[in-house]
Amino acid sequence: MSNVLLEIKNLHASIAGKEILRGVNLTINEGEVHAIMGPNGAGKSTLSAVLTGNPAYEVTAGEVYLKGKDLLAMEPEVRARAGVFLSFQYPVEIPGVSMTNFMRTALNEKRAYEGKEPLSAKEFITLMREKKKLLELPDKLNNRSVNEGFSGGEKKKNEIFQMAMLQPCLAILDETDSGLDIDALRIVAEGVNRLKTPENAAIVITHYQRLLDYIVPDFVHVLADGQIVKTGDKTLALELEEKGYESLTQTLS
Amino acid sequence: MNEVIIHKGECFERVFLNEPEVNLHIVQEEGSRVKIHVINVPKDDVQCTKEVLNTVSVEQRGEGCETEIYALAFLHGNEQVRTETHVTHAVGGGVSNQLVKFVLDDEARGHFIGDLRIVPDAQKTEAHQTNRNLLLSETATMRTQPQLEIYADDVQATHGAGTGQLDESALFYMQQRGVGRQKARQLLIGAFMKEVIETIGDGYSAVREQLLDSIDGVIK
Repeated sequence: MSNVLLEIKNLHASIAGKEILRGVNLTINEGEVHAIMGPNGAGKSTLSAVLTGNPAYEVTAGEVYLKGKDLLAMEPEVRARAGVFLSFQYPVEIPGVSMTNFMRTALNEKRAYEGKEPLSAKEFITLMREKKKLLELPDKLNNRSVNEGFSGGEKKKNEIFQMAMLQPCLAILDETDSGLDIDALRIVAEGVNRLKTPENAAIVITHYQRLLDYIVPDFVHVLADGQIVKTGDKTLALELEEKGYESLTQTLS
Repeated sequence: MNEVIIHKGECFERVFLNEPEVNLHIVQEEGSRVKIHVINVPKDDVQCTKEVLNTVSVEQRGEGCETEIYALAFLHGNEQVRTETHVTHAVGGGVSNQLVKFVLDDEARGHFIGDLRIVPDAQKTEAHQTNRNLLLSETATMRTQPQLEIYADDVQATHGAGTGQLDESALFYMQQRGVGRQKARQLLIGAFMKEVIETIGDGYSAVREQLLDSIDGVIK
């Protein structure tokens, strides 16, 4: 019996006064991969934004616990240090801040949170090199500014690279497949699969079945109109691919 | 008036760091090179309330000259800095580059006047002027007055000015990786300022390194 990692209870959230999430309930155990699918505007990205503490969104009701701790009470950086990682749908470019400097700061802040000593420069470089290989990213990216001038594929690979560096207990992949060609998709998915352990979990947000051929989910949830309206195993994704979301939302109403 | 003539083929480089006033007038002869940095990063405990006036004027009187002017001010409290640049291309074939940045917190005030002049005969001139400003508080103010007078037609001239705030999406992205908000601000503001500081040449490497090392300390 595995432990509960994340518990979302009756989560309501809004942006600029408009309610997007309307009572989401979801429990994720260690070792599980959950896919969240749904039509545009269903609230998929809002869910990832709320879990990571994006200040643009307001939680109006509900509770979220990470390993029993009140996640919503934590600052965004504390959530990250506690092991929540978001692979952004649109990774942000940060001119003038090198990948190396950024990652080193992030990793050492996480280590400090865990009561560990910072890594030495040599240990850090060795770790970077090792993790870069996993994503087939060139070393030259280290000295470039964060995401600046990266291609779409490089940006997404760079997200998973950061995930490999930080080893989160909960990875949220927000449409990581969008804008990827099939080779980049395979590399990204393999990276995610290799990072899987019995102790961590992933939420894979996607529109398409395609990514789920590579990252096989234990559960598939359909989010529509701010609520999870259906949950099934991986065959649900295939069914959705075939019949579309409309058939599902119609049978419900 | 402190006029300096830079003779044919000579190089002139100066860094003015936290001077109460800079008043520099340069005339460049053929093929000479000039590189000026004016940096105002006053320490918090020695706040000066009097407006600091920086005036750098450069006239390219000979062909094939190069001029680089960089200015950076990082101000707190009610500090004020006015930086004026006057660049005149009196003959053609010259290059000038200007990068002027202000970072303003609290009630600080910045003022940039950038005067760029290319006379009718100064063909094949290349001139660039960029002014970028970062406002860290609602009460800081920036005034920007670029004045471009370009009378020659076969020139490459670019100009840009912009004033903004810290990029919230970049701050959140860094926080999402575990970087504290304060540290994230330091990284962003530091990056903004480093773009100027890193252009200081090796002749002033001690000043450059000292500024780079002290940046995080001056960002609250």
